[in-house]
Amino acid sequence: MALLEVRDLTKDFGGLRAVNRCSFTVEQGSITALIGPNGAGKTTVFNLITGLLRPTSGRIYFQGRDITAMPPHRITRLGIARTFQITRELAELTVLENVVVHAARDGLAGLIRGSILQHEAERAMALLDFVGLAAMAREKAGKLSYGQRKLMELAGALMAEPRLILLDEPAAGVNPALLEEILERILQLNRSGMTFLIIEHNMDVVMNLSHQVVVMAHGEVICQGPPEAIQQDPRVLDAYLGAA
Amino acid sequence: MTLLNLTRAAAPARLEARFLILSGLVVLLLLLPVLQVLSDGHNYVLHVLMVIFMYVALASGWNIIGGYAGYTSLGHPVFFALGAYFSGVLLVYKGWSPFWTAPLAGLLATIFGFAFGLITLRTRGPAFVISTIALLLLARLVLDNWEWVGGSNGLSLPMIGWPYRFYKIPFYYGMLLTALAAVWVSYRIRHSKLGLFLRAIAMDEIKAEVAGIDTRMCKVIAFAISAFFAGVCGALWGYHQTYLRPTIFLTIGAAADLVLINLVGGRGTVAGPVLGAALRVGLDELVVNQIGSTELNITVTGILMILIVLFFPGGIIGALRERGRLPRLLDWD
Ligand SMILES: Nc1ncnc2c1ncn2[C@@H]1O[C@H](COP(=O)(O)OP(=O)(O)O)[C@@H](O)[C@H]1O
Ligand SMILES: [Mg+2]
Repeated sequence: MALLEVRDLTKDFGGLRAVNRCSFTVEQGSITALIGPNGAGKTTVFNLITGLLRPTSGRIYFQGRDITAMPPHRITRLGIARTFQITRELAELTVLENVVVHAARDGLAGLIRGSILQHEAERAMALLDFVGLAAMAREKAGKLSYGQRKLMELAGALMAEPRLILLDEPAAGVNPALLEEILERILQLNRSGMTFLIIEHNMDVVMNLSHQVVVMAHGEVICQGPPEAIQQDPRVLDAYLGAA
Repeated sequence: MTLLNLTRAAAPARLEARFLILSGLVVLLLLLPVLQVLSDGHNYVLHVLMVIFMYVALASGWNIIGGYAGYTSLGHPVFFALGAYFSGVLLVYKGWSPFWTAPLAGLLATIFGFAFGLITLRTRGPAFVISTIALLLLARLVLDNWEWVGGSNGLSLPMIGWPYRFYKIPFYYGMLLTALAAVWVSYRIRHSKLGLFLRAIAMDEIKAEVAGIDTRMCKVIAFAISAFFAGVCGALWGYHQTYLRPTIFLTIGAAADLVLINLVGGRGTVAGPVLGAALRVGLDELVVNQIGSTELNITVTGILMILIVLFFPGGIIGALRERGRLPRLLDWD
């Protein structure tokens, strides 16, 4: 059984069909890339998986369980974390708080406990250390550079203890040094068993990183397979040239 | 290790000075009515302080949903009226003192706030403020036409059976207790998980939801807690006035007052609504003393308050913090 299965997913915005009968799977332990020209519907697929949008039709299964149209926080708690194409940080909170808000809490009683518990602070600091932001822990998140915000979002995603992480263009707008850093972290996490679904434009990144590639164009999945096969598929070339 | 400092928990040694000052202030306020017993003529001081306490409780309560979560409510007068009418009716028909039914009035407001929030806090953003205005107008309509509670003529309550000279004292203590409770709850929430989640909601609700926060439940709980203090204040204030009328409570002006107090003091901070309430009542007294109690005094107070907001967008607390001038005595965030 695949960790994530998207089946016949369709999303209309008014008259625009942004996602059209998409089906694909993400296998446990894999890094799966979701690629396609701008406007192909990739981010919309992420929004559907994470519950921010309700599909017009189709279903989403996570660990065999139907999660279609569940509220986003429940989907997160079931084990899907994500980052955003354009980072969303809580600018007035500290970097540490930005990470800790992702921590699971137990029930209503959890709400009245201290805002940052000792074990949460320790875990969050370890994660910030992992992404190289430990020194910034007490700064306001609004002070971080764009690349640092991406790293902070990654730390936040990890804080939620997910089984699957969705990354929306982790490389876009990040300087090469920081990009190396981000890619290295992703590979490291994957080696220890974490599953990723990654939207990415940079073909070098896709080829180096992924085990499986899903190609979208005009809202449809036009082909999927291992990166070597995808690279030679004429339909992929077509899609990218056609959109240019 | 530095981790300890990150959790904000500890550092009691440095807090002691301001705890001492505040404890001293509370003791002073608790003892103040003794002056009343020893000598005449302090009703005015007690009265003004009582009104300040009431606004502190109302504004601190409002701040939980309106400041921390960033959801402006113009419906709080409804909870105030609910409390006033609940305890007033029990007094008139059953003879039960509002001093002990006030917490029940608060509880009723909480339940009502919870139910209303469940429906209207599903959505994100500005739809909520509209729904609270609708609630205000609806409540006005109901009370204006509900003859059993006096309709638009209102309901007269029996005066407290208490020597006139000491009339203010029980109300003074009632409001003081309510204000202390409101500030304490506000402070605790500010430093709890709920507070962190509410602030996250205020900044980016979608991000908060995706981070795994049940944003709707957090908002509803915040709104319900917030309603509690309005209910208690309503119960006490109605009894103090001995007269309940829909027009006294259910006005947009009364609703806007709470927003303005928070804006002036510093919305979303613990001390902001306290400062704002004291300033609001203090200014009003000053203006009334200068120009007499007319429609004008409300306007002048309003204009003064709006000027403060214009010059200090973050309120007094925000402005002081920005300049690094916020004394520890006022820094409870
Ligand atoms: N919330 C929305 N409302 C209306 N149209 C949208 C919305 N989100 C995305 N779209 C449209 O759907 C299409 C797919 O967008 P998106 O999923 O962001 O593409 P990608 O991430 O592949 O670049 C685009 O034409 C975009 O304009
Ligand atoms: Mg996109």
